[in-house]
This record gives sequence, C-alpha cells and structure tokens, in this order.
Amino acid sequence: MSTVLQSLSTELADAVESAGRAVVAIHARRRIPASGVQWRPGVIVATHHTINRDENITVTLPDGTTAPVSLAGRDPSTDLAVLKLAGQNLPTAKLRSDSPPAVGELVVALGRPGPSVTASWGVMSRVDGPWRTWQGAEIDSLLRLDLAIYDGFSGGPLIDAAGRVLGINTSGLARGVPVTVPVATVERVVTELLERGTIRRAYLGIGTQPVRVPESLARKLELEGDVALLIVSVESGGPADRDGVLLGDVLLELDGAAVRDSADVLAKLGGDRVGRPLAARVIRGGQVKTFQVTPSERPTSRAA
Amino acid sequence: MTASVAGGLAHELAAAVEQLRRATVQVRTRGRATGAGVLWDAGLVITNAHVVRGERATIELYDGTAAPARVVRRDLRRDLAALEFEPSGAMVSAVIRDAPPLRVGELVIAIGHPGNLVGAAALGIIHAAERAGERRPRWIQADVRLAPGFSGGPLADTAGRIVGVNTMMQGGLALAVPASAVAAWVRRAHAPVSA
Repeated sequence: MSTVLQSLSTELADAVESAGRAVVAIHARRRIPASGVQWRPGVIVATHHTINRDENITVTLPDGTTAPVSLAGRDPSTDLAVLKLAGQNLPTAKLRSDSPPAVGELVVALGRPGPSVTASWGVMSRVDGPWRTWQGAEIDSLLRLDLAIYDGFSGGPLIDAAGRVLGINTSGLARGVPVTVPVATVERVVTELLERGTIRRAYLGIGTQPVRVPESLARKLELEGDVALLIVSVESGGPADRDGVLLGDVLLELDGAAVRDSADVLAKLGGDRVGRPLAARVIRGGQVKTFQVTPSERPTSRAA
Repeated sequence: MTASVAGGLAHELAAAVEQLRRATVQVRTRGRATGAGVLWDAGLVITNAHVVRGERATIELYDGTAAPARVVRRDLRRDLAALEFEPSGAMVSAVIRDAPPLRVGELVIAIGHPGNLVGAAALGIIHAAERAGERRPRWIQADVRLAPGFSGGPLADTAGRIVGVNTMMQGGLALAVPASAVAAWVRRAHAPVSA
C-alpha cells in the first residue's frame, strides 16, 4: 500500500541519494572531516573555515575512494573555498537557481563527514534580502534554517525535496548558527576564485563608530541626517592615512551617499572600487570638508 | 491539491502513530515510570537495560492493563533487556523490519513516554545508514529529538515496522539499537529461556 506518508519518505530518501552523489568528504583539518559539493565538473565547493591547510588536501568520494584535490582559492568573507578534482567521474550537483526557497519549505542538509552521507531535515525559517558578513562580503540573500546541525556538515549542500541544491551550509558565518550561502553567491565566488584565486575587495584602513551630530552643528552646517561616523582608528600607511583622513574626522558621506554605520562604508568597497577615488565628506574642526580617498586592494586576512 | 496532500499526510501520520502505540508499553520499576518498551512478541517486551535496573518491573499496555514482568535477559553492552509477562488474551505485537535496509532521509517515528505524557510521538529522518559491504553499525542514527522517556521504545518506519529500539541521545542525534540486532539477540538469548 503506497500512502502519502510513505511516498514522502521514499522521495526524501531518493532526494538524499541523488544529491548525495555529488557530496564528498573534505580532509583538511584534524579530527572529523567536513563536506564539499561538486559544483561544476572538476570543481568542488567547500567552506573556508574547515580547510586548515593549503596542501595535502584529499576528498573521500561517494564510492569510498580517496582522491587528492588542489586548492584553487578561498574567500574568508563568504566562508567559501574552491578545490579542483581531476580525473574523477563524479556527478555535478543539480542547482536550483530559478526560484528561491520559501519560508516553511521542507529542506534537507546533507553532509559527508566520513565515508557515508548524512542528512538532517527541517524547514526554511527565514528568507530575506542581501546581507553583509562581518568581513564585508555581500551574500545575495539571507537563508536561515530550522534544523539541527551536526559536526562536519559545513560545506555540504542544502537541498529541496526534489534533491536540488539551494546553497552551501556553513556554521562559520554567523557565530555557529547555520546559514546557507545561496546559489547565486556561490556561483559568483566560484567564478572569481577560479579566475583569480582570491576575491578582490577594496579597503580604506579606517575604524568607525556611529555618533549623533549635535543639532546646533547640524543646523549650522545644513546637514540632512543626524547620525554620522566618527573615525576612531586610521591604519598607519593605509589608503585613508595616505589620503589625509584624520583621527576624529566625522564621516558624513562616501561617494555621494550618507553613511550611518560601517555597513554603509563596506557597501562602497566592492572589488571593482580598488584604485578608483571616492569623494569623502567629513566634519573637521567644525567645518564640512570634501576630499578624495582611493581604496586599495584589501590584504588577505584583514577585517575592514 | 496541496492542502489535500498535507491533510492526507497528517491523517496517515496519526494512524501510523496510533498503530505503533499499540505495540508500545510503559515500563515501571518500583512504582516509578522509567521508560518505554516494545511489545516484541506475545508475553515478551524488549526495552533498554538502563530502563529496568532490578529483576522485576510492571508493564502497562496500551489498553491500560498492567502486568507484573520479570527480567529474563539483560545485555549491558547493547543496553537491552527482555521482560516476560503473562499475556491476557490476544494482543498486538510489533512488526519487525528486516529488509530493505534503511536509507538516509527516510522518515522515522519514535514513540515514548516523556515526562507525564503517555504515548508521545516524534518524527524525524534517518541521519546515517550502513553502507553495502561494511560491518553493520552498532547504532541507527536518527535526526529526531527525543527526551529520556523515549528510552526502550520503538523507532519505526512509515509503514509502522520497527527499525530500532531508542536508547539515547548523543550530540543531538537519537541512537537506536537496530531491530535486526535486537531480533538476533532475542533469538539467541530468549529461546532457551522460554523453552
């Protein structure tokens, strides 16, 4: 007797089985391995935080064999890493890029923290617009999960009930809370890492803190907003230092847009801004002053 | 269309739970509820060794009748215990799933008695399964959240067949003794006793 309940059970197991054929175990740290997905032929996507070395990385394939992979690049800001796998006949993940997941949709997180595939199930608990990670990368949409996560699941795919991949799961972007990096972001990062080996991001070398501009000063200077960013640190020899930004300047606008928190600054520092001057409008000594700052390419492993 | 699938699902799930409850017993030791048990066969209950610490226990069946039971076998390594009692009339016993092997992602239902609840159900999926050619694992790992009162109770598939005996939670996963291992243990350990 085939019932709806049994059909659901069979379909979930089918989805796990088919999607699981593109999921590998990544051996690049001590203790338990993490997971990865064959995203394009010969290209494995994994998470940056589970890859603790750049060489001697191996993967366990679904058939139980082990194969060496090489690191093509990593992006700490999205917690993604790209590995190259040569000469293996592994299926490529089926991506769902036409429709985003919906809140309440049944989803399954897959992992391969060893020879066998593992699964946990739940629902999408939150689907939202673009967000920025603490290291400044833009993630195309916020995907939060209501499901239990287990060791080694980072780098594995989130799949829908039909086995199509919705993104890559990681516990490394939001203080251990599982989030899914959506397909669009993974695609972008994979393309750039394969081309360049790193993700270019612009940086200024400043630290800021939101401050309220006194009403009298705002009136006197004819300012529109009342919150701006106090420059609380300037990196020696960094782009901002070189272009004359001073400790104590109050940043009002960058590139013509008001800045109210550090995310507004990061929004102006995409990879395409390296070497292109931005107009900075600041309060200095009670006067409004406008000058140019030119972001440099951010050195790796630096936060802002 | 969608509503009728969900409605059918809810109805079938409730029916499967109801069926499983009939093969689930409460185990009491010295008057205290200590866990659940599976009505494995007429007059035979399988539970965890940690659920029945003494030699005697009381079991309460689905219909509310209580019966004195005695521990006839215990295996601390597997955390299993077999209890015998005098069956009063015909009763349902569990259907054991020998084949096919469990698949990762398959739905599973657990029945137990957490807190003051009797016959509570939890739904989850199989988290990890054995691979062909490998030695059978000691535990079934299920992605289902169980409380202590589920110990000794059944983990079953959507057809109501027993796939394991729930034993403990570890790292957020429910661990159950595979039904095949329980069946082998019952055949080996129980047969001489009832003979």
